[in-house]
Amino acid sequence: MDHLSDILRIHSALSTFWWILLGLFFIIYIVLDGADLGAGVFSLLLKDENDRAAVMSSMAGTWDANETWLVVAGGVIFGAFPLVYGSTFNYLMIPLMFTLWGIISRAVAFEFHVHAKTSKKFWGTMFGLGSLVAAFFAGIALGATLLGFRMTTGNAQGIQVANDPFVNTVPHFAGNALSFLSPFSIWTGIGAVIAGGLAGTLYLCARFKQDDPIYKKAHAWATTFSFLALAAVVITLIWSYAIMPDAAKWTGSGWFGWLILLLAILISAYKMMTAHATHRDFPALLWCGAIVVLMWGGMWATNFPYIIPNTWTITAGGNPANDLAILTLFMTGFVPIMIMYNAYQIWVFRHRITHLAGYESH
Amino acid sequence: MIIENTLPIMLSRLDFAFITSMHILWTPVTIGMSWLLFFLEVAWLRTGNEKWYRLQRFFEKLFIVNFGAGVATGVTMEMAFGILYGPFSQAVGPFFGNILGFETITAFMYEAGFIGLMIFGWGKIGKGMHLFSTFNVALSSSLSAMWILVANGWMQSPRGIVLKDGLFQVTNWWHAIFNPNFNIGFPHMWVATVELSLFFFAAVSAWFILKNRHADLFTTLLKPTLLALLVITPLQIFIGDELGREVAVDQPTSLAAMEGHYHTYLPDGKVNSGWHIIAIPNAQNDGNVFAITIPHVLSLLETHTLNGKVAGMDQFAPNDRPDVWVPFYAFRLMVTIGFFLFFMALWGNWLRIRGELTAEKLRRHPNFLRLLTFSGFLPYLAVWTGWWTREIGRQPWVVYGLMRTWQGVSHMGVSAEALWFIGYIVFEFMVWGGAWYFFTRIIQKGPDLHSPVVGAAPSESSGGGMAQASFAKPTLNKL
Repeated sequence: MDHLSDILRIHSALSTFWWILLGLFFIIYIVLDGADLGAGVFSLLLKDENDRAAVMSSMAGTWDANETWLVVAGGVIFGAFPLVYGSTFNYLMIPLMFTLWGIISRAVAFEFHVHAKTSKKFWGTMFGLGSLVAAFFAGIALGATLLGFRMTTGNAQGIQVANDPFVNTVPHFAGNALSFLSPFSIWTGIGAVIAGGLAGTLYLCARFKQDDPIYKKAHAWATTFSFLALAAVVITLIWSYAIMPDAAKWTGSGWFGWLILLLAILISAYKMMTAHATHRDFPALLWCGAIVVLMWGGMWATNFPYIIPNTWTITAGGNPANDLAILTLFMTGFVPIMIMYNAYQIWVFRHRITHLAGYESH
Repeated sequence: MIIENTLPIMLSRLDFAFITSMHILWTPVTIGMSWLLFFLEVAWLRTGNEKWYRLQRFFEKLFIVNFGAGVATGVTMEMAFGILYGPFSQAVGPFFGNILGFETITAFMYEAGFIGLMIFGWGKIGKGMHLFSTFNVALSSSLSAMWILVANGWMQSPRGIVLKDGLFQVTNWWHAIFNPNFNIGFPHMWVATVELSLFFFAAVSAWFILKNRHADLFTTLLKPTLLALLVITPLQIFIGDELGREVAVDQPTSLAAMEGHYHTYLPDGKVNSGWHIIAIPNAQNDGNVFAITIPHVLSLLETHTLNGKVAGMDQFAPNDRPDVWVPFYAFRLMVTIGFFLFFMALWGNWLRIRGELTAEKLRRHPNFLRLLTFSGFLPYLAVWTGWWTREIGRQPWVVYGLMRTWQGVSHMGVSAEALWFIGYIVFEFMVWGGAWYFFTRIIQKGPDLHSPVVGAAPSESSGGGMAQASFAKPTLNKL
C-alpha cells in the first residue's frame, strides 16, 4: 500500500470539503450582511435623521450576527487554508483595511446613534458612509482576489540570515501595497455597491409596512437598482470571460451546464422583479438570495481547482491532512447549529415596522 | 543592531500592539459582565424583586455600548494576523489558525447569535428563553477568551508541534492546546475579566451613592459585589504568582526582563537573589545603571527558597534578550494595582462587619466611595500592563524560542505600515472617545425606574413577538 498517496487523497478530499463550506459561509454572509450594508447605503438617501434611525432599528437585533458570518469565513480561511490566509490578506491589505474601517464606523454608529443628541447626524452619516465604504472595498477585494497575485519564497521583509527555516518553503505575497488596484477590481467594487443597494432596498421593502414612506422610497429605488444590477452582471460576466483564463470553461465541453446556470440566474432575476413589482416583498428578497447563491456557486465552480485563481489551488493552500481532519471532526457539527440559532434570531425580529421605529428607539 | 529594533519591524509590532491594546479595553466587560448580568437576571426571576431587574437593564445599556465597541475592534483582529503577520499566519496555521477557526465557529458566532435576543428580545421572547440567551452570551464570550488564550499561551510555551517544511505541524493536540502557559494564563485572564467587571459595578454604585442618587438601589448591588471581590482579588494575586513561576520555568528571558534581572551571580560568586523595586537598565541592555534592591525576594518569589538560582539576562545571547523597560515597570504597576484592589475589597468588607454598608451610613465614608469609583479604572490599566509585560517579554520571539518576530512580518513597506497605524489611531480613538462619552451619558441619566417591567404584558408568552408592534429597542424607550 502506498500510504503517501492515501494521505494525499484524504488531504485533497478534506480541503475540498472546507472549500465548499467556505463558499457556503460567504454566500450566507453576502445574502445577510449584503442586505444590511445595502440598507445602510440607501439610508444616505434619506433626509430625516429619524428615518435613518428606523432603518437602523430594523436590523438592531441581527446586524451583528449577519456581519459575523464574514468573521466565520475569515476564521475558516485561517483554520483550513492558512497559507492562503497569510498571503491573500497581505495582498488585500488596503481594501481590507478600508472595509474594516467601514465596519468599525457602522458598528459603533449602531450603539451611539441611539444615545446621541447633538451628534445624531454625525453617527447617522457614519452608519451610511461606513456601509458604503465596507461594500465598495469588499467588492474591490473580491475582484482583486479573482485576478490572483504574484508570490515568492524567501523572507517577506527581505532579511537574510543563514539557516532560516521559514524561507524557500512557503510562498508569500510578493507585490506591493497597491497591487490590488486594477480597472476590474474597481469595477467589482462598484458592482458590490449596486448589488448591495438592491439587496438592501428589497430587504427594507420586506421589513417596513407597505404604506410607510420608507417602504415607498425603498420600493422605487429597488426597481432602479434591479436594472442597474442586471447591467452590472452582464458587464461583469463579459469582462471576466475576457480576462480570466478559468472562464474559458464556460464555452468548453461543459457549456451546457453553464448555460443552465445562466438560465437559472435569468429566471431568478425575472421572478425577483415580478415579485417586487407586485409587492410580494419577501419572495422578492428570497429570489435575490437565489441569484447570490447561483452566481457565487458559479464563481466557485469556475475557480476550481483554485481557491485563489492562478495563485493557490485548494490542496496547495490547505492545512496538513491531520489538521483538516481535526477541524472537520470538531467543527462540522457546529455548522447546522450555527445556522439554526441564527435563523431563530432572524425569526424573532421578522415583523414589519414603520418609520416611527426610529423615534421609539430614542 | 538587533533586527527587531529596525523601523519596519518596530512599526509592524506597534501596529499590532495598538489594535490589540485598544481591543482589550472592551472584551473584559463583555466576558465578565455577561455573567454578572446573568446572575442579576437569575436573582430577579427567583426573588421577583424588581430592584435586580432595574439594575440588569441599566448595566445592560452600558454592556451593549461596550459590546459594539468590542465587535468593531474585534473584527479587525481576525483579519490583522493575515494582513500584518502573513508569514507568521502561514507557519503557525496548522495549530494557531485551526484554534482561531475553532474560536470563530464555537464562540464568536455563538455570541453574535444570542446577543440580539439578549438586548432586543425583551418582551419578544419568553423570560426563560431570554435567560437562556443571556447565559449563552456569557458562556460563548468565555469560550472565546479560552480559545484566544490557547492560541496566545501556545505562542509563549509552544508544545505538541514539530517544525517541518516551514510549518508548525501538530504532533500532539492535547499538549498543544493544554500548553503550560495556557493552563495558568487562561484562569489569570478570565478572573481578570470578572474582577474588572465587579469593579465596574462597584465604581458605578459608589458614584451613585456618593451623589445620593438611587443610593438604596446601588447599595443593594454593592453588597454582593464587595463580597465577591473579597474572594476574587486575592485569588487573582495567587493565580498571578503561579503564572509568574510558570514564566520563570518556560520563558526565562521574559522573567529576567520583568525583574530587570541581569546577573545570575553576584561578583563574589553567590547567587543573585535581589529583587529590584526600581531599576534603570543601561543602553547596552546588559546591566542596570541604577537600582534599589531587596536581597532574597526574587528567589523567594520565583523558587520559593531564600537563595534559589534565577537565570539572569547574562545567561542569554544579547540578541535573544527582550527590552527591559516596559516589562519591568508594566509588571510592577500591574502587581501594585492587584494589591490595591485587594485592599479596597478588604476595606469594603470591614465596613460591612462594622454595619456601615447601608445607603445612609456609607455617605459618612466619602473617601471610600471616591476611591472605589477611582478603582473602576485601575483594572483596565492592570489588563493593559499585564499584556504588555507578556507580549514584550516574549520578544524577540513571536513563537517563543522557535520563530522570531521579524520572520513573521508581512511583505509590507514602511509607508503601508504607517498608514495602518495612523488610520487605526483615528478610528480606535473615535470608538474609545465615543464609548466613553456615551458611558458617562448613560450613567448620568441613571437607571430607568418607571417603564413597565417586561413580562407584565400578555405579549410575553407569545414567544414570536407578534404582540409587540414595534421593533424598536424597548430598553432605551425612556432614556
